[in-house]
Amino acid sequence: MHGVFANWRAALLYLLAWLMLGLLLAAMLAVSGAGWGASLSFSVPLAFVYAYATGFSAYYVCRAYPLDRRRPLAIAAGVGMTAACAAALWCAIGAAWNSLLAALAPEGYSPVASAPVLASMFGLGVILYGLAAAVNYLLIESERVRQLETQRLQMKLMAQDAELRMLRAQVDPHFLFNSLNSVSALTSLDPAAARDMTVQLAEFFRHTLGLRADRKVTLERELQLVRHFVAIEQVRFGDRLRFEADIDPAAAQCLLAPMLLQPLVENAIKHGIGQMIDPGLVRIEATRAGSILRIRVENDVDPDGAGGDASAPGTGLGLVNVRQRLAADHGHEASAHWVRRDGRFIVELALPAVTAFEPHTATDMEGI
Amino acid sequence: MRVIIVDDEPLARAVLREHLNAHADVEIVGECANGFEAVKAIAELTPDLVFLDIQMPKLDGFEVVELAGAKTHYVFVTAYDQFALRAFDVHALDYLLKPFSRERLAQALAHARARLATPVSATQGDDALRALVSDAQARHQPIERVLIRDGARVQVIPVARIDYVEAQDDYVAFFAEGRQWLKNQRMAELESQLDPKAFLRVHRSYIVNLGAIARIEPTGKDGHCAVLKSGARIPISRSGYQKVRDLMR
Repeated sequence: MHGVFANWRAALLYLLAWLMLGLLLAAMLAVSGAGWGASLSFSVPLAFVYAYATGFSAYYVCRAYPLDRRRPLAIAAGVGMTAACAAALWCAIGAAWNSLLAALAPEGYSPVASAPVLASMFGLGVILYGLAAAVNYLLIESERVRQLETQRLQMKLMAQDAELRMLRAQVDPHFLFNSLNSVSALTSLDPAAARDMTVQLAEFFRHTLGLRADRKVTLERELQLVRHFVAIEQVRFGDRLRFEADIDPAAAQCLLAPMLLQPLVENAIKHGIGQMIDPGLVRIEATRAGSILRIRVENDVDPDGAGGDASAPGTGLGLVNVRQRLAADHGHEASAHWVRRDGRFIVELALPAVTAFEPHTATDMEGI
Repeated sequence: MRVIIVDDEPLARAVLREHLNAHADVEIVGECANGFEAVKAIAELTPDLVFLDIQMPKLDGFEVVELAGAKTHYVFVTAYDQFALRAFDVHALDYLLKPFSRERLAQALAHARARLATPVSATQGDDALRALVSDAQARHQPIERVLIRDGARVQVIPVARIDYVEAQDDYVAFFAEGRQWLKNQRMAELESQLDPKAFLRVHRSYIVNLGAIARIEPTGKDGHCAVLKSGARIPISRSGYQKVRDLMR
């Protein structure tokens, strides 16, 4: 079912309106001299017949002449033509119905459909058809608006969902469980170290929980987070994990999306150092060259294994995520590349260098 | 009860050691920091029970089980939650989620004692283990490397380097970089584990790496063979030739 017949309530209202129109027509005929009985039995069924005909055909006509894609003249012509045809047909049916009634009930029925009555029926038919078309256009438009609204809501939901997933994916929950296991071991082996580690864990989570997706942080502050993370992992991995950071002071003040480096370092440890038997180095280097901030995160990888390879399961996702976030923030001005070379896995980021003190920054900062 | 602890983190081993020391009947006969050591130690020390981490360098816990076999019982010790372990939690003797409590470990040990006291038939244990391993493999299908045990040594061959595989009775022979390795495995099982986009079973006894093929040559009357870049000639059966042609299309 379509248009006004799409649900029974609308269909009922529509037919009720047409009943009124039929009664009105009957009243007009009765006033002009015909008997009430004859007028009613003539006009009410005709009204319903036309209600059905316009209800269905107007919907398809409206579909064929969409308001937003056809020129108004074409729409008017199209609707006008169909309206005239429909009205003419209606008149023909009216004349036939009149003769049929006259033939079936010759004594009680005096014919009502004279030439002027049929002519006014034609005019009325065209107008009513036009009205039906207008109603259908309204229905189609409101449906379209409703769909757009649902679509907009869905998009918003998807965006929020993606952000949530991103943030969740960034701190691997197993990191927490592994760390707690280490704390559990340290409580009897080295209570002071256990206390230190709990403090580091608390700092790390306080820091990440305080982050807001829409606020930029300085590289220095992001690095603070990374250092907490590395300190915790160093307790777990012992001598296997070595860490170096070489940050240009000019780069340290630059702003970037929070949690941009942390997943890179997490990857470096999990897929790089975690897959090696021998000790490995994770190194961060950041320089500022004019308007460009360059950040490089590199780590040793197991020479035999697939560890650290972007194709290895689990690694690629975090990297792609970082690339997408950079693209969302800076478009073509930022880039992320990664390569495995000479037993090392290297990720290089380039993004516009912006500090909070430079006038063209539109972004706000969080706690310096 | 003779026990081996396998975990790449010294502290994680320390927790287990400390907890196990409270149980008088438990003797820790070995500690390993990676999968290679574990396979070797399990073969040499034949422990009753192995506490096995999953995330480790070189070989992960499932690969250790695959290589070390069903002669011993395994308790997985991992930070990975039930969700990831659901598929196979029925097969392993037990698993402990890090961090675990003293009581939980005692439970796992009680479970192990009960199992050791009533030895299951070898075949039954074998089946459970096979199911465990195939579950583990199903998690990262298609396989990226083949593990071959050679005494206490373990050979890891990345599948990309394999030229072809030949069935030899109960074994399959892997030909890679001019060398050959034998592994006790069924051809059909191996075929299901390899990436169908890279490997094709061209013959009842041969699976070939499509990237290693130099050309296809006719041999005799409507027979064909694949000539590999290494020079090896692999017979292609009629149905195998059909598959090759479908792939070329």
